[in-house]
Amino acid sequence: MNDLTPEKTENAKKERSKLAKWSRRGFIGAGVLAGGGLLIGIGVRPGNPVGSLSSKVAGGDGEQLVNSWVKIDLNNVVTAIVPHCEMGQGAHSVLAQMLADELDADWANVRVMQAPADGSYVVTDATRLFLAPFTLNAADWIEPTWNGLFTQVSRMAEVLITGGSSSIRTTGQNSMRVAGAAARKMLVGAAAEKWGVPTAEITTKDSVLFHKASGNSAKYSELATAAAEQPMDHTPTLKTPDQFRLMGKSKARTDIPAKINGTAEFGIDAVPEGLELSYAATVRPPVPGTKVVSMDASRAKTMKGVLQILNMENFVAVVADSYWQAQQAMNTVQIEWSQSASPIKTMDDQYAAFAAVLDDAGEAGGEEVAGKGDAKAALSNASQTIEAEYKAPYLAHSPMEPLNCTAHVADGKCDVWASTQVPLMARSGVAEALNISAEDVTMHQTYLGGAFGRRLGVDEVSMAARVARATGYPVKVIWSREEDTQKALYRCADMARMRAGLDEDGKLDAFDHVFTQRHDPAQACVPAIYNIANTSVRHAPADLHLPFQAWRSVDHSQQGFFIESFIDEAAHAAGADPLDFRLAMLKGSARHVAVLEKVAEMSDWRGTRAEGHAKGVAIVEAFGTIAAEVVEIDMSSGKPKLVNVWAVCDAGYVMNPNGFKNQIEGGIIFGLTAAMYGELELEDGAIVQSNFHDYKMLRMDEVPHIEVAIINSGDVPIGGAGEPGLPPVAPAFTNAIFAASGKRIRTLPVAKQFA
Amino acid sequence: MHNQALLSRSGLAVCLLTMMTAACGTSAEPPKVAEQIIVRERGAADAAGPSTGGSQDLVSLGEDVFQTCKGCHSLDADGRSSAGPNLYGVMGRKAGSHEGYSYSDALAASDITWDEASLDGFIADPQGYIPGSEMVVGALRDDERRKAVIAYLAAQGE
Repeated sequence: MNDLTPEKTENAKKERSKLAKWSRRGFIGAGVLAGGGLLIGIGVRPGNPVGSLSSKVAGGDGEQLVNSWVKIDLNNVVTAIVPHCEMGQGAHSVLAQMLADELDADWANVRVMQAPADGSYVVTDATRLFLAPFTLNAADWIEPTWNGLFTQVSRMAEVLITGGSSSIRTTGQNSMRVAGAAARKMLVGAAAEKWGVPTAEITTKDSVLFHKASGNSAKYSELATAAAEQPMDHTPTLKTPDQFRLMGKSKARTDIPAKINGTAEFGIDAVPEGLELSYAATVRPPVPGTKVVSMDASRAKTMKGVLQILNMENFVAVVADSYWQAQQAMNTVQIEWSQSASPIKTMDDQYAAFAAVLDDAGEAGGEEVAGKGDAKAALSNASQTIEAEYKAPYLAHSPMEPLNCTAHVADGKCDVWASTQVPLMARSGVAEALNISAEDVTMHQTYLGGAFGRRLGVDEVSMAARVARATGYPVKVIWSREEDTQKALYRCADMARMRAGLDEDGKLDAFDHVFTQRHDPAQACVPAIYNIANTSVRHAPADLHLPFQAWRSVDHSQQGFFIESFIDEAAHAAGADPLDFRLAMLKGSARHVAVLEKVAEMSDWRGTRAEGHAKGVAIVEAFGTIAAEVVEIDMSSGKPKLVNVWAVCDAGYVMNPNGFKNQIEGGIIFGLTAAMYGELELEDGAIVQSNFHDYKMLRMDEVPHIEVAIINSGDVPIGGAGEPGLPPVAPAFTNAIFAASGKRIRTLPVAKQFA
Repeated sequence: MHNQALLSRSGLAVCLLTMMTAACGTSAEPPKVAEQIIVRERGAADAAGPSTGGSQDLVSLGEDVFQTCKGCHSLDADGRSSAGPNLYGVMGRKAGSHEGYSYSDALAASDITWDEASLDGFIADPQGYIPGSEMVVGALRDDERRKAVIAYLAAQGE
């Protein structure tokens, strides 16, 4: 387990090694921290709620499920133990902010620690969010029956997961804040008892308790041990925004100092203490599903540093003293792969397969996802109809930190050091691959050097475990950029056909949408924000040649492009201003209208355009956040040059404005990179692109000026930050291209269409 | 009883359960090692032996130097490029002409035919020699190492 605090003092190191040995039972068993102090967890199992973490509870059947913790030690340091990984999104720090605010803790002495990969830390709310609507009301959340159900589902799916833009709005809102408020109440209770005064007369500030009348005061640490004996309120009153001291403020991220001074440990940095490490490079089949038929390693065997060459059936690995030696030797191994059964050899084949499925679905086929009114009749009665076919390519995640995993198998147990978004699933994957119990697999989590969905997979972790078992010594496997680009899991390609019917006033009266890929969120394909009388949204499933993996904003990444481009087509067909056309359809939703009005104002939408410049707009609601964006381009050279992006987001309430803006900006740049250049092509069923020279990122000089504004509309469940910035940017960009040139971009990426 | 109804509405739950199933695989048999070649034990003498010390000829020194260039440039006769263009037979080739590699506009328009002098100038300072080149790392400022790597490049495809 990694202690992800900014300070790497000797003490911190000692504490880390101690924590690393804590089992869940031991953790609960501690009740009171070894040597004194307080631990709080939120129990969620029906019939067995964790009332107080006294030794009584710890002596139970070990089945208590706990999904968040706060620790107050004798140095008055408050530690938030969070069940999410830190992949650059800044969630660790904001989760600590939320806990510390409710606890009235001294922010300078708040630390963050990542929860161990243990079933106790399932992110119940990540599941719950997608199961049923819920309110911010803590009393609702803590209600045991519901939570028992959610916990069960979470455990089944092993949801110790960081994704879905969920950390702040689920764990933060419902676990961190409750744990913080409950801990504060227990401290107040302990102080009241000690001083013989009513709890109502006690105030708290910066980790200190005060009683004004008597002049008594005490640090939290002084009463932490006694507080552990206080009853725990499962439904403590949470602060209202006017009482927030840390929430809503742009507090500096706790993970940044270590990332600047170089002490932060990413997966690729992990060096198991006291163990000599060897390194491995691997090659996987060029076409998914194929296997090694034979390998010729005669040259690799003679190369410097090489220890072993392994044919693992579905991949080949070379183990050596250093990664460089392993990779150089790997490059010389000649491998014959089996033939793929997939009929898809090129992207033309893939799109033809999509088209065949859409042809079969026709005008009414496929699985109906959403339907309203009578789209078919409305289309035939429309005074004007338009239709279009859209395509989106496969995309790679390309996180900055190369894929890597370190594993050591000894005495039937396996230790794994990995930067993963899903440590529990990874643990099960390793157990499966080695045919051992998950209890015998210990995950050591590190920071993630970017993920974007790529690190939701468990294949690499299993591969590393198998290599480590075969060699018998600790091995760090590193996947080359080429391997990660060509042999991974991908944002799906897709094709969509849409039809729209306009009435005599140019109002969008009918919308029909059919497409082939539907993963998550399930409603991403439905333009639910718009008031359209007759809607039909249909899913006609088609097979993918390349394996799917969630990619930043998942279905919204292609659906945002399809829907918001086509809405733009409808606006132009109606002869309406694209922004006003949308506004008219958003009437009745004050939040959406406000977001769009604000972005119009920021971007001077109604003002005149500079010579050769044009603007495009799009609005998408994703992961609970409404985001409208305007992209301004300069087409005077004949090629689109990105100039400005204005984004307005309403996430209900933003916990850390600077962190939120960073995430939206990141989503915009990630989305523009994909829109401009992102594409994986196939040749004989294998991916052509291999590295950043042919899978291009937007370069610094190509990134537009970006301005983000936040609307805190308040009383709604709060929305996410990591993903919502992305979906509107591609359509806003291509809508700007249409405004500038009359060229409608219906297939991404953009750049090669202007080469 | 709530369970079923809730799950059927749930995109994420379905997705997560799918992921779980995928992680579990379909076979109860754990995957095997098909072939294991043990070249040597850890700590044992390297099969390839230590690198040749003492006086090296220029081409052999160039081969050592080129190890760092291999991150981007292949010298394989098959002509495949990675991050940088394939350099097999680069001596005497027109700059920006290797088929299948997407060069920067600057390099493509440079009108250089690679010889000892132009390679020397370019490798010493790619950005200075051809402003706009996308070779942003790998410059060799050491005269001897640069001379050696050019000798090594010239020796390929002879």
